Amino acid sequence: MSDSSTPVISARGVVKHYGSTVALAGLDADIGPGITGLLGSNGAGKTTFISLVLGLRSRNDGELVVLGRDPQTAGIEVRARIGYAPEHHDLPAELAASDFVRHLAEMHRLPRRAAVQRANDALWLVGLGEERFRPVGTMSTGQRQRVKLASAIAHDPELVLLDEPTDGLDPMQRTEMLALIRRIGTEFGMHIVLSSHHLEEAERICDAVVIVEGGVVVHAGTLADVRRGPEGLVIEVDARADELASILAARGFDVTVDGDVLLLDSADAAYDIVRDAVAELEVGLRRLAPRGRTLEDVYMGVGA
Amino acid sequence: MTTQDARLFDLGYRSYDGPREAPARAILTLAVFTAMRVLGLGRGARHKVLPAITLAIAYLPALTSVMFSAILDDLAVDDLISYGEYMFIIGSALALFAALVAPEALCPDRRSGMLGLYLAGPLDRNRYLVAKGAGVLAVMLLITVGPLLFMLLANTLAGFGPSAGEMPKLLLQILAAGTATALLYASLSMAISSFTTRRAAAAVGVVLTVVLPVTVVRTAIDSAGAPEELDLFSFAFVASELAYRIFGEEADDGEPIEMLSTLVVTGGLAAAILAGAVVCWLRYRRIEAFR
Repeated sequence: MSDSSTPVISARGVVKHYGSTVALAGLDADIGPGITGLLGSNGAGKTTFISLVLGLRSRNDGELVVLGRDPQTAGIEVRARIGYAPEHHDLPAELAASDFVRHLAEMHRLPRRAAVQRANDALWLVGLGEERFRPVGTMSTGQRQRVKLASAIAHDPELVLLDEPTDGLDPMQRTEMLALIRRIGTEFGMHIVLSSHHLEEAERICDAVVIVEGGVVVHAGTLADVRRGPEGLVIEVDARADELASILAARGFDVTVDGDVLLLDSADAAYDIVRDAVAELEVGLRRLAPRGRTLEDVYMGVGA
Repeated sequence: MTTQDARLFDLGYRSYDGPREAPARAILTLAVFTAMRVLGLGRGARHKVLPAITLAIAYLPALTSVMFSAILDDLAVDDLISYGEYMFIIGSALALFAALVAPEALCPDRRSGMLGLYLAGPLDRNRYLVAKGAGVLAVMLLITVGPLLFMLLANTLAGFGPSAGEMPKLLLQILAAGTATALLYASLSMAISSFTTRRAAAAVGVVLTVVLPVTVVRTAIDSAGAPEELDLFSFAFVASELAYRIFGEEADDGEPIEMLSTLVVTGGLAAAILAGAVVCWLRYRRIEAFR
């Protein structure tokens, strides 16, 4: 297994096209260790990238290393160490959940008895212990998502790829599923790649994010990096924002005005000066806070 | 009072550090799983009905023959169904079984997305097809070799069996005829099943592939004077004709296939098996499994 700092997936200039359609246009990314959100809109290239990671498609150019191997040449060995839960919910309807999970665990090289035991353990872990003998076809979407998660982890893989694991879940189920994924990623030593277009999910459970748009990575880093954002302050007043900006500019700050919101490039010694300027103008101060950003800010910024 | 060491029996989910099988084990796992599913084992009762009926049809002639040999005292060996004849008699059951087996083995995987899940594990398309082919072949052998072995056992117990010296040869003949027939039906039905995700459509396709060419080519041979070699497309008759020849028997029905040499019949059967396998392989190279 890779050490605590080695990327689980390393991509350099990965290109993939289908005829004249370019799906990945020189993608560079280091993913993992830990839980990484693979974010992007529909058609951004996430699914194509996952298929390359699994070695199910061959790339046209670039280098890709997954768990220390090239999946294009060592696909079977790489996939044996990966757990994968697809986006679609079409599972064999008449198969009991325990049989489905056990079968896939056996397919991932577990001996029969171990596969039976671990299928049961995985289904209990995801909260389907009592329901494990029910046919998958009779289960709700939420339960099927859990069955897919159980099948992805039953063989104790080093890397788990989850494609839209909260798709079709209500808010309560989504919260439970995210907590479960977080627990699997932190307690059982599996690296997780969570492919999603729900930014708040990545913000809630991921250690890092990779944002893909148009087949290239437009942002990659830890969530702490994302949230840190640029230096400075954000000020929101209820009137006379332009006059306040002039006062602050006269004091040597670089100020950007957007409606009633002002952005200062520096926070050093700014709080007292802002307070005095607001008092001088006799306007209401709605917000005075360090500048930061959410994942949505980053996403919308790169998407613009 | 006695004391006991405390033990934890249910540790819940935890990391696995036990043994792992070789990657090739996935092929065996999938082959066994496929065979069991096709036969309805581990599934609801309605999934067992068709396989059970078809198997019953295939074993019925052997059972009848055995019953007669047990009941009637003045029965001679020649009065019993011969081994070569058996393949011909159960021809319709074979076609029905083939129409059931391969579509059940292949179509649901593509329809349900299981193919993508398999290929996301330690399998590639070739290994997947080998596993499926092995599963289908194993089940087909149940109906091609099984009844003949049953008849051999029953005949032997009833005193109509071969001598000890002839037994190994007869066993080899049964295996050869049964395997050749099973390979033909497995290959053709898998090729047809690779074109659709719907089991019913594939089943109809298999039956038509077995039945339709017989009518067409024999009409062409009888009416238009087409060469007898065209009868090699009468797949069911090619298999039964080869079975006759393997057992050293003659059908003597005056069919065009009987005019061909054993080499040509064997070559035709091998070509049909190979063609089916290649078509299936080419189809699976193009199927989009990942969605």
